[in-house]
Parts: sequence; structure tokens; C-alpha cells
Amino acid sequence: MRSLRREPGVLLALLAVVVLVGAFIVYPQVRVILTPGDSYGEFFSGGTWRNSLLHSLEVMALSTASAVTLGFVYAYAMVYSDMRWKPFFRLIGILPLLSPPFVVAASYVILFGPRGLITYNVFGQTISIFGLGGIWGVQTIAFFPFAYQLIADVLSRSDARIEQAARNLGAGSWRVFRTVTLPLSRPGLGAAILTTAIYVLEDFGNPALIGGTFTVLPTQAYGLISGFGDLPGAAAVSTILLALALVLYFAKIRLDGPRSFVTVTGRASSMPRPPVAPAISWACFAACMLLAGIIALVYGSLVVSALTVAFPQNTALTFGNFEYITSGANGTALQNTLVYGLAAALLSSLLALVAGWLVERGRWTGRRALDLLLIMPAAIPGLFFGIGYALAFNEPWLDWLDRGVLIIISMIFWNIPVGYQAAVAGLRQIDRSLDEAATSLGASSLRGFRDVLVPMLGGSLRVGFVTTFVRAVTTLSVVIFLFTPSSTVATIRIFQLVGDLNWGRATAFTVADIGLAIVALGAVALLARGRIALGGARA
Amino acid sequence: MPDIHLRLERVTKRFGETAAVDDVSFDVPRGSFATLLGPSGCGKTTTLRMIAGFYDPDRGDILLGGRRINDLPAHRRGTAMVFQDYALFPHMTVRDNVAYGLRVAGVPTAERERRVNETLEFVGLGKLGERWPNQLSGGQQQRVAVGRALVLRPEILLLDEPLSNLDAKLRVQLRWELRALQQQLGMTFVYVTHDQDEALSLSDWIAVMNAGKVEQAGTPWDIYYHPRTSFLADFVGAVNLVPGTVSELRDGGAVVSFGERSLTVRVPAGLALASGAAVRLCVRPESLVLAARGAPGDGPALPGSVARKAFLGDLMRYWVTVDGREWLVDQPDPGAGTPFDGDVLVRVRPERVHLIAE
Repeated sequence: MRSLRREPGVLLALLAVVVLVGAFIVYPQVRVILTPGDSYGEFFSGGTWRNSLLHSLEVMALSTASAVTLGFVYAYAMVYSDMRWKPFFRLIGILPLLSPPFVVAASYVILFGPRGLITYNVFGQTISIFGLGGIWGVQTIAFFPFAYQLIADVLSRSDARIEQAARNLGAGSWRVFRTVTLPLSRPGLGAAILTTAIYVLEDFGNPALIGGTFTVLPTQAYGLISGFGDLPGAAAVSTILLALALVLYFAKIRLDGPRSFVTVTGRASSMPRPPVAPAISWACFAACMLLAGIIALVYGSLVVSALTVAFPQNTALTFGNFEYITSGANGTALQNTLVYGLAAALLSSLLALVAGWLVERGRWTGRRALDLLLIMPAAIPGLFFGIGYALAFNEPWLDWLDRGVLIIISMIFWNIPVGYQAAVAGLRQIDRSLDEAATSLGASSLRGFRDVLVPMLGGSLRVGFVTTFVRAVTTLSVVIFLFTPSSTVATIRIFQLVGDLNWGRATAFTVADIGLAIVALGAVALLARGRIALGGARA
Repeated sequence: MPDIHLRLERVTKRFGETAAVDDVSFDVPRGSFATLLGPSGCGKTTTLRMIAGFYDPDRGDILLGGRRINDLPAHRRGTAMVFQDYALFPHMTVRDNVAYGLRVAGVPTAERERRVNETLEFVGLGKLGERWPNQLSGGQQQRVAVGRALVLRPEILLLDEPLSNLDAKLRVQLRWELRALQQQLGMTFVYVTHDQDEALSLSDWIAVMNAGKVEQAGTPWDIYYHPRTSFLADFVGAVNLVPGTVSELRDGGAVVSFGERSLTVRVPAGLALASGAAVRLCVRPESLVLAARGAPGDGPALPGSVARKAFLGDLMRYWVTVDGREWLVDQPDPGAGTPFDGDVLVRVRPERVHLIAE
């Protein structure tokens, strides 16, 4: 504390971060939790939440189990097998991280809907695809790539030397995996499962698109607001959702720490792992081909739909959908997406860096509390976060505040955990003697931070920037209660167009949105010449 | 009375329950090469870091040039530091590393350039200014670290084991360079090391620390030949510490009996001894002389036999058993004769024996 008093600059920065965190992370959450007030009793005895809660838990259990299973297969194949085409599979595995998760639901409808390519055109069926089965299938495909990234990260962190030692002692490859690798990676795998469960639990886009009457907590909360204007009810439902997510999140932290980003490109390990049998490699190849095929089908049908008049009924080639989405109000939405995303990414990663420095290098009391608050948004479902902002900042006295700015602020703080954790991790790798060297040469600690640490933290900045950008341009649930006609974004327009059953235009918008994310990732990867890391995208 | 440049007054620093530095006081004269010497964990680095301002003392005052600096932030103390791992800024060239402090201080470009060039020449890096730290050898990096600190003309220069990451030969060479540098500049250096050779050869003044306290402070000569405690005698150099009892005191001398034998030695100034007091005879192995049994000679001689010996190049070290106790004896220039073996005599020159109170 004494050192803080001596450096007013640092104290000022700390106060600024505390005020921002209080205003934009703590306050909106408190508003949601307090909004139902007395009506909590009525709400809980009413019991309309019971079905949604059961549905949410049901879907969470099913989709997490299947997504983790498929993700595990994909990850094992990528890390352990000698199969061919690994770069291709790696690329396919990244694609879903760069797109709104609800794209799977969209192409599911195109392929299997009442007038779907496969159900209707191939088999002549008009079966109902909505409800539990649909959600399960769609979420499995939507989230197994996330599970794959998380699990691959855990497996590649396991020490190849220990595996070499076990092989050297006479164990076969499967036995080594079962008796050495798995037990050692158990906490990481547990954390991966819990993280996937959080993604599934808070998924709003997929259930909203194909849930039908099968409501889960996020869709019920949305329905209560958009259908009945019942803010207290929606707030109560979201609070249940938040409670579940927090339980999962703290369980995850207990298992494996709060890290919420994984390195998605570059070498997995410098040390070669012991070889596996060729038959296993071939089985892995076959499984990955199948899964990659499904992903390719999802994205392929989006692209085809975007380029045709009315897929699959009218497959005439047209650029009309793209002309539509780039003109007028839609063009503005696309432009907003880009501007909001860039602004949020830049500000979020910079703020995260300063916050990470204050917490990691500071010696003041209360660091633990600030640390917890800064990682907390990682556990907050997007819908809850959005409702919180709507409740806290859609007030008459804030009418002067541009809604676009509010959307940017929401993206900054919803995404701050990734940049923050990357900054802390980066700082831990820089010896304190470098800060001290700058200090002993006459630089104040802020000056030393700017001159010495920031230039060395490029990697952490990039993680925060890319992840925030990708998540900002692909999120639906955070912004759905914040947008106005002039501050609408791509995901909102996609959601509205799907509601109008205008699939051509919706898919064109989706393709453009994913294009933005890919270009951003590519540009940063090019600048960084290689390694970049990415946090999970969320709906 | 020498001009006191740095003074610590009853400084204490605790980490949790343990006192890393416990009630430490000392004075460093201006322009001297002062060394804090001690085993790891003795508190020497903590002391240095308090001087630099990286730790706040829990109690006590630190005075630099007569001014109390406890409340001065680290970057305003003018105590440039050279770090054990050099802590060079990896994203700056050698020149930018050296220029950094001047840049922060807002020194005008022309003067900055001049001083940087001057300093690079001074530390022998004139041609390497445009290199990056990772393109330099350990010794060169160390020079950059020193240059980076010296260019600021700091009040005092703090050095935290700056040579410990270098190989043995280079370490010795840079030792002389550091000493020459310090004398040329007439600057006060405060140097931390666990290496007693370094401390003895470099310093004007040494404070030996142990368990958070200064055991003894003084010239290297004093520390080596007149240690006040067994710990000191043992930590600095090899030594024979033979337990004995004072049997008689007369004219500034003491008759000390050990086992069946006794020796008359001078009592060090400031050591109050009573008859019957337990003491230790403190003899450096190079102060003893080995001779063949029956060889003629003066003074006390202890009959013993060679148990082991080790050839160290510049000397031969013998472990000689005398009355069931091993004595260390160093014989210089071993090539001059045949090594001793079997029964020998250990000749003791009483004026080379120091007394330590038990």
C-alpha cells in the first residue's frame, strides 16, 4: 500500500479499473439479481421455470456428453495418431470457433427442415425436426469443435517424456494412454467437460432457432421479455441460469485454474510422442474425415444457400443476397459489426493488459477480489449479461449515451477475462527484475510498464484482441436486448431474417460475418507470424 | 573520520514470521567498494533491495548522503542496480538499453548520444551498440548491464551477484575490471555476493551476514585474519578451529590448552577472557608448516600423520591427524619437493594463531 501512495499514477489507474469493473461488471449483474425483488416468491411458486430448468439440464447432459466424446476422438487423433491431413483437420477444427454457434442450427434447418435438402428433396419427408432431438444433434455438432480444442490443449500439455519413459518400460501405446496420460490429464479433461457444459448451458441461438416449444432457460428468458415484457420474470430465469453457470465455472477453476484460452495454431509439442499402431491412425483418420465432413456440410450448405435464390427449391445462382446485405440498413449493420468489434477488441485487450499488470505486479490488498471480478464474466451467460446491461443502462438519464457505445462497452467487459488472463500469464513469464531494472534506472512503474513490459506482451495483447473481436462479431445473446435500428449488428439481422424465414439473406449475412472473423484472425496471425491463441467463442 | 555515504540504522525486514533482515546497522564510506557477503538466505539481497527501494523496511532508517530515503520511491533514489541475470531489455538494442535511463530522465538527444557512446567505450562495447541482447555473450551482457547503470552517474551503484552466471575464468577477469572501474570512477559500490573469494579480492569493506544479522564488518584483512565468530572463520576461507581452554593469562597473552597440549597466543584486542574460558584456536591452513619428523626447527610442533592429501595445483592440501583430530595444512608450491606422507610434524607459529571466544 505504501508503494501505491508513492506513485499516484498507479493509484489513479487502479481506481479507474475498479470503477470500470464496478460499473460494467458488478452493477449490471446486481441489477438483474435484484430486479425480481418481491416477485421471486411468486415466481418460484409459479413453477413456469421448472420445465425450462429441466430442459436445460437435460440438454446440457446430453449435448455435453456427445460433444465431449466426439471432441475427444478428434483431439486424440490430432495429438497422438500419425494420420495424414492433420493441417486440414486443424483448419476445419478452427472454423467453428470463428462463427456464431447458431450457424449449425441454420444449416440444420436448410438440410433437414420441413423443406430441407435431405429430408424433403432426397427422402420426400416433412418430419418435425424441432425440439429436444434437434437441439441435441445441433449442439453436438456446434460444440464438439470447442471440446476438441480444449481437450487437445490438455493432451498436448501432457509431458511426452513421461510417455516415452512409460513406453521404454514396456507399456503399449494404449496402455500408456490409459495408465499414464489419462490419469495425469484428469483435471484438465474435467475442466474441458465443465467448460463445454457452460457453452451448452448458455447457448441461446441454437435453441432459439430450432427449439420450437421446447424452451430452455435462455430462450425462456428471451421469450418473457420479447413476448410479455416481463422483465422481473426474465431476470429471475437468468439468475437461475447464472447460478448454474457459476457452479460449473467454480468447479472448473478448482480443477484446473481459470485459464480460458487455448493455443490453436502452431506446433503442439516439440518432442515427438511415441508412435501408435497404423490401424489406430487409420481409424482416427476415418473418424476425423466423418466429423470434418459434417462441418464442411454445415458451412457448405450456408455458402450454397447464400449464393442461390431459394435453396434448395430454386438453386439458380445469384448475388442478390450479398447485394441485399451490403446495402442500406444492412450495410450499416455489417459496418457496425466491424467497427464495434474492432473498438471492443482494441479497448478490451488494452484494458485487460493494464488490469493484468495491476493485479499481477501490484502489492496492494484486495488484489484477489479484483482478480475474481475480472475473470467472472467468463462464467456469465451472454443473455444474462445482455439483460443486465439493458436493466442498468436503458435508463432515461442515460439517453444521451449512444447505444452503439453501450454495445461496445458490453463486448469489452463480457470478453475481458480472456485478455486479462493472457496478460497475467504473459507477465508471469517476464521476470520481475526487468521491471526493477527500469525502476532503478529512474522510470516510474507506469513508465516501466509502458516502455518495457507492454512491448514484450504482444502475444497476450493479440490473444485478447483476436478473441474479443471474434466473439464480438459472433455474439447474439449479449446484444439482443441492447440494439436499436441504427446500432444493429450482423448477428441480430441474421436472427431477424431467420425469423422471417429468409434463408438466402440470413445465410449470406452469416457468411459475411464469418468472413470478418476469418480476415481478422488471418491478419493478426500474419502480423504475429505464427502462434496465436483464441478463447472459446460464445453464443 | 571518513565521509559516510550510506548508512543503515537498525533496519529490520520481516516476511511473515521470519525476519529476513534483523536489526542491521552499518556505515559505508564514500567511494568505497562495499560488499555484503553471506550464505544464501542470510538477508544480503533483501538488504540491497531495501537500499534500492524494492522493499520497504519494517523498522529502521536508510540514509544516503545523510538524507533519509525510506519514503523515496525506488525510481527517484539514484541507486542504479546491476542484476544477477542482467535484466537487459530484450526488445531494445545495446545502445537503447544504455540510453534508457537518460531517456527517462529527459536528457537532450545530443548529450544522451555523447554519454551513451562514452559509456559504451568505457565498458568495452564500442562496436556492439546496434546488437540485440540475445546476440551477446554472458560477459558482454554483464558489461551492458553495468554500462546501463553507470551512464546515469548514480549516487551509488548496487550490484546483486553480477558475476554468478558467468564461467569461472571470465568471472575472475571481470572481477578485476569491476574493481578497476570502481577505482577509476571513485564511486561507491554496494556489492552482494556469496563468493568469499570475490568479496576478499574486490572489497574495501565487507559485512558478513548470517541469519539476517551482520556478524562482522570490516576490511577483508580483518574479516579473514580476525574473525569474531566460528561461523565467520569457517565461512570465509578454510580454517582449523580447535576447541581449547584458557589456563593462564599473562602480559596480553593467553596459555590455551587443548587436549594434552598447550600454546601461548596473543589475545585479540577487544576480546575479554577469563581464566578457564572456552575458546577456539583459529589457524588458517596456509599459516601452518609441515615438516618431516625429527627435522630441525623452532617453535611448537605437533606430531601427526597424513590421513589424506589433495593436489590443488598452486598448493597441496593435507589432512593431518594430530591426537585423533584432523588439521588442515596447506603447502605452497608443491612441485618444489616430494609430497609428505606418513608421520609428520605440524609446526605452529603462535603469532599466526587467532583466538575466538566460544
